[in-house]
Amino acid sequence: MVRLVRAELRKLFGLPTAWVGLVLGTLAAPLIVLLNAPYTRRAIAAGTVTDTSDLGLRELGLGLIGPMILGVIMVSSEYTSTGPDSPGARQLTTTLTAVPDRRRLLTAKTTALVLVVAAQAAVTATAALSLAEVLHGDHTSMPAAARVAGAILYWTLTALLAYAITLITRNGIVPLTFLIINSAVVSVSYLLTKVTDLAAYLPDIVGARMFLRTADFPVEISPLTAGLVMTAWVAALLAVGGVLFHRRDV
Amino acid sequence: MITIDRVSKTKSRTQILYDVSFEARPGRVTGFLGPNGAGKTSTLRILLGLDRPQSGTALICGRPYRKLDRPLTTVGALLDGSGAHRARKARAHLRWVAASNGLPDSRVDEVLEIVGLTGAARKRAGRFSLGMSRRLGLATALLGDPEVLVLDEPVNGLDPAGIRWIREFLKDSAAQGRTVLLSSHLMGELAEIADDVIVIDKGRVVIQGRLAEVTGGHRTLEDAFLALTAADSGGSW
Amino acid sequence: MNTARAELRKLLTLPSLRLTVLLTWTAHLALTCAYRVAESRGEPLGDNAALAPIVYTQAGFLVLGVLAASSEYEEGGQIRTTLLASPRRLPLQAVKALTLAVVTLPVAATTAATSALPAGEATWTPAATAYLTLTTLLGAAFATVVRRSVLAVILLLGLYFIAGPLLRAWFATSAAYLPDTAALDPSRGAAATVGWTLCALALAALTFHRRDA
Repeated sequence: MVRLVRAELRKLFGLPTAWVGLVLGTLAAPLIVLLNAPYTRRAIAAGTVTDTSDLGLRELGLGLIGPMILGVIMVSSEYTSTGPDSPGARQLTTTLTAVPDRRRLLTAKTTALVLVVAAQAAVTATAALSLAEVLHGDHTSMPAAARVAGAILYWTLTALLAYAITLITRNGIVPLTFLIINSAVVSVSYLLTKVTDLAAYLPDIVGARMFLRTADFPVEISPLTAGLVMTAWVAALLAVGGVLFHRRDV
Repeated sequence: MITIDRVSKTKSRTQILYDVSFEARPGRVTGFLGPNGAGKTSTLRILLGLDRPQSGTALICGRPYRKLDRPLTTVGALLDGSGAHRARKARAHLRWVAASNGLPDSRVDEVLEIVGLTGAARKRAGRFSLGMSRRLGLATALLGDPEVLVLDEPVNGLDPAGIRWIREFLKDSAAQGRTVLLSSHLMGELAEIADDVIVIDKGRVVIQGRLAEVTGGHRTLEDAFLALTAADSGGSW
Repeated sequence: MNTARAELRKLLTLPSLRLTVLLTWTAHLALTCAYRVAESRGEPLGDNAALAPIVYTQAGFLVLGVLAASSEYEEGGQIRTTLLASPRRLPLQAVKALTLAVVTLPVAATTAATSALPAGEATWTPAATAYLTLTTLLGAAFATVVRRSVLAVILLLGLYFIAGPLLRAWFATSAAYLPDTAALDPSRGAAATVGWTLCALALAALTFHRRDA
């Protein structure tokens, strides 16, 4: 299995688009903390921002495009055609020749993805929080380890969400479009929370409760429950995606 | 009539074609022979206006490809694959190509008939086998009933029946007065079809002439080819 | 003109385009309903609810443009067939853009009308239609330069949904220079949208003209 995971990692790092996801995801949040600094300072001084406990963590949301790209590309790259002479064959054909047991293949892919995005999350969270500490140290303190862990978990689950959806659709464009729009400042999910309270249980909304305090939610949910709900969503989609992958022709 | 005159091409700072010159005449099958990577496809792509040479000219019936009006009625080209988008049905593919050169839709069914793909017309190009893809590519080349045929490794991927079919087809085309230029790295096959042969190696034309001339004193074309390309410099003489 | 007929046939027989149009329409309808329900619940989501869904739906139009253009470069190498049939590249690019615009217009018009008419703001429909059509052309031009659909989608959506809003928040003047401002505030952003689209089309034409197939 270690050998398989290493192979999957090597495959991933050979994709230029994966590097786009790595770089964007890692740099986005710290960069935004930096560029937002003057506005944040003004807002604190003016009293419009009273609760600063989310500083550094909130910005992580905008870096989510990184894990989304990685999750999607992990699957969609297998479905690109291998050449003009046989447009029906895909990289997946080669992969399955090397690793015919689909369950092991999926386990290896999932593991590789989790390793990469969790590491990315740790790096970007540390960078963003350290910057926030340096820039606004007198107004905020380092959040509890549990909250940072929650943020890393959110990041990882988001990647797995993208991954699971792509397993189902096999095409990368649909999940990418949908997810990137949803990670915007005013996301579709957030919009839906204004329509119905049930939307508060959508994976990206509920998961944020694991580490954010100041966002406005219609329903009170504890961080632990939030984590469980988001994990349940991801698990369900992974199950569906996994079954489809197992049973479909290449 | 195809005229290639001192074509040179550089790609990513490596020169891949050095003063390539040759002719392909109507009524004859001209074989363009060379090992993989010799520059055959590069030359053909320049001839067809897909790539630009650093110097030299490549003319079809006295004009560069880009200056031809309704080019598919003059030249039919078969490159690798089918040239079709994999999600599009074969007939839909041929229909848009026909429209692009003002050809009637009836030609679509005619060429499908010629290459034997009538039954697969409603299939998506991505589901074609290797042989079917080549036949779709050939059908596309024949849409305009062109007087010049340019084929890059045409027998690649065909089964024995298909290879024989193409051999007869190309010979008949030449007999009807068409100019046929095909490239290959399969000497045995080329020796069966070609009237004239051009040998290219490492971007340079090594020899050109009638099949008998090029084979020279060697037993087969293959022997001749290996002898000619054994020398390190591979310069023309 | 022959090339136009060919390009039209191409656009109408690509399954992924039909799917994109369908998904975009569905999403727009759902969003329009969501906005109306939110308003009726007393939680209005901004003043221009008639056009607000377009901020999201424009993604569908970007993707439409990207897919239309990148279909030439996907495995199978259709671009070669296209160039063999129509070797003069600048006219080809122009015709491609025009036919794409013609095909997109009805889709854009119906989309714009879906949210504008019920809200009683029918006068915005032509502007919204133009905006969405230009957005599709921008996506197509981008994809012609980049040649890979996934990357083009990432870059465009990243610009429109992440970088754009951030830049507008930090530098108020940047709003006049970003292509998607028109979706939020038509009077300020119209010139930028037109400018971006024209520049992108020019860049695409230039790179396409010079490079190997």
